[in-house]
Amino acid sequence: MALFGRRNVLVAMLLFAAVAPTFLNAYYLFVANTILIYVLLAIGLNILVGYAGQLAFANAAMFGIGAYGTGLLQVHFGWPFWLAFPLGALIATMVGLAISLPALRLSGLYLALSTLAFAQFTQWVFLNWEPVTFGAGGFKTPPISFAPLPISKTLGLYYLSLILVMVLFALAQNLVRSRIGRAFVAVRDGEIAAESLGVDLLRYKALAFGISGFYAGIAGGLYSAMLNFVSPEGFDLFQMVIHKAMIIVGGLGSIVGSVLGAGTLVFVLEALRKVKGVQEIAFGAILVGFILFMPGGIIGYLKEKVRGWEEPLHRARASRRPPVAATSESSEVRP
Amino acid sequence: MLAIQHLKVSYGITQVLRDVTFEVPAGKIVALLGGNGSGKTTMLNTLSGVVRCSGGSILFEGKECAGLSADNMVRRGIVQVPQGREVWPSMSVQDNLELGAATRRDWGAMRADLDEVYAMFPKLAAVRKRRAGSLSGGEQQMVAIGRALMARPRCLLMDEPSAGLAPTIVGDMVDTILALNRRGLTILLVEQNIGVAAAVAESAHILQGGEITFSGPAAGLVDNDEVLRSYLGR
Repeated sequence: MALFGRRNVLVAMLLFAAVAPTFLNAYYLFVANTILIYVLLAIGLNILVGYAGQLAFANAAMFGIGAYGTGLLQVHFGWPFWLAFPLGALIATMVGLAISLPALRLSGLYLALSTLAFAQFTQWVFLNWEPVTFGAGGFKTPPISFAPLPISKTLGLYYLSLILVMVLFALAQNLVRSRIGRAFVAVRDGEIAAESLGVDLLRYKALAFGISGFYAGIAGGLYSAMLNFVSPEGFDLFQMVIHKAMIIVGGLGSIVGSVLGAGTLVFVLEALRKVKGVQEIAFGAILVGFILFMPGGIIGYLKEKVRGWEEPLHRARASRRPPVAATSESSEVRP
Repeated sequence: MLAIQHLKVSYGITQVLRDVTFEVPAGKIVALLGGNGSGKTTMLNTLSGVVRCSGGSILFEGKECAGLSADNMVRRGIVQVPQGREVWPSMSVQDNLELGAATRRDWGAMRADLDEVYAMFPKLAAVRKRRAGSLSGGEQQMVAIGRALMARPRCLLMDEPSAGLAPTIVGDMVDTILALNRRGLTILLVEQNIGVAAAVAESAHILQGGEITFSGPAAGLVDNDEVLRSYLGR
């Protein structure tokens, strides 16, 4: 195993993230938590766009639905965070599944436009359904508590985010290396071929949309708890562009790339926050730079230049068993 | 084995197949010929469930299959080797083959079938970990055929397997098709290359303007003036 191979680097990153709160001040801890939340968003979007090849623009809306769902269930019904959070994510998942229905008939730019229209519609609902969403001003969510654990809210939320990132990262890695992941790639690489060979398009497209909705919903719930405040502008088109930029910078069709892209962009955005107006310019420059010079993203560069970063669509397999004897009774013709 | 009766297919208001009737007997190779735009690929896509028909019937082993979804057609045993090969370029050869068995759950038998595909195409065994998109045209055609075989078809639909291949490799393709047929596979072959069709098929049908305009033995096709006139415009 190469010293700077993927596994070692990921373990080092994880160890750093685990001990980071002991030496980071409150602001940097906030940035670190933001990175964790964006890692979830980027992974979910990359499964949908990078693996399944569905050019959808509803991720920010789903992020918002997760945040609003989690926040509003607490505010209107007085439910605890621990109930509202999973339900908020579930709502986002359901919405993701619903969006997959038009995706069956649309592809490419048409899918992009229809999902964009859906995202704008979601914005409109956040802004105008005032009795429920509190309109443009947004609303405060009740502070969450980690009692009986002896841990502050900030620290608790950071570790909750870290645990969720670990679990959902592992889940995504396993998913894309499974038959499901390969079916996603088949839909992306050749939809007609996939369909004619019996890959159920409806099932796999719905699954990809549902999964990305779930990841965005979880991220939204964490985000609302971190800020203790939810308002529409956090989930607008610029937010969507950030998500897209993360998976392009990190590398399309790579879970590890999503992590790297999210980390890089949150870091850059925060570093430039002090200089007004530069943020957008730098952001645009990075995006254009990557598209022109590193279309494979950071992960593409690493795969090419550093040993141990290959990403097969398979888990490492034990030695193959000897072929099983054929059953001759079968009427089927064997190859 | 496969009986197509009065099949009609439209894309919007454009009727592509008007009234197509022909049969593919079990264990035979049947060729479907025709010029560009005559509806050959639409015919195969309808049989594999990708395109829905607007009328008529598709009987496979005596059971009505018209209107079934693509994955159900594959489960019944009708599998297509699509035009232009359409391998999944960013996946490895092995992943392509394994995903050909997308409808199956019998893992042990799939492993065995995989080994048989490699035995049939030893060239593929050597490149099993390569990206399918990096292979030559002939090798990609082997992947496309192997991938279809992984679904354990009883009837194979082949859409212009010789298209875009070097003339020397076309000969290999003819051998492959004959070998598949010897193993008991029924094959419906769509071709532009009359030579290939005549070399492998027993009977042939010519599709023109969405209708079958000629049916007869394939061997005589090359010398049949009427066929050449109507089909090739000579």
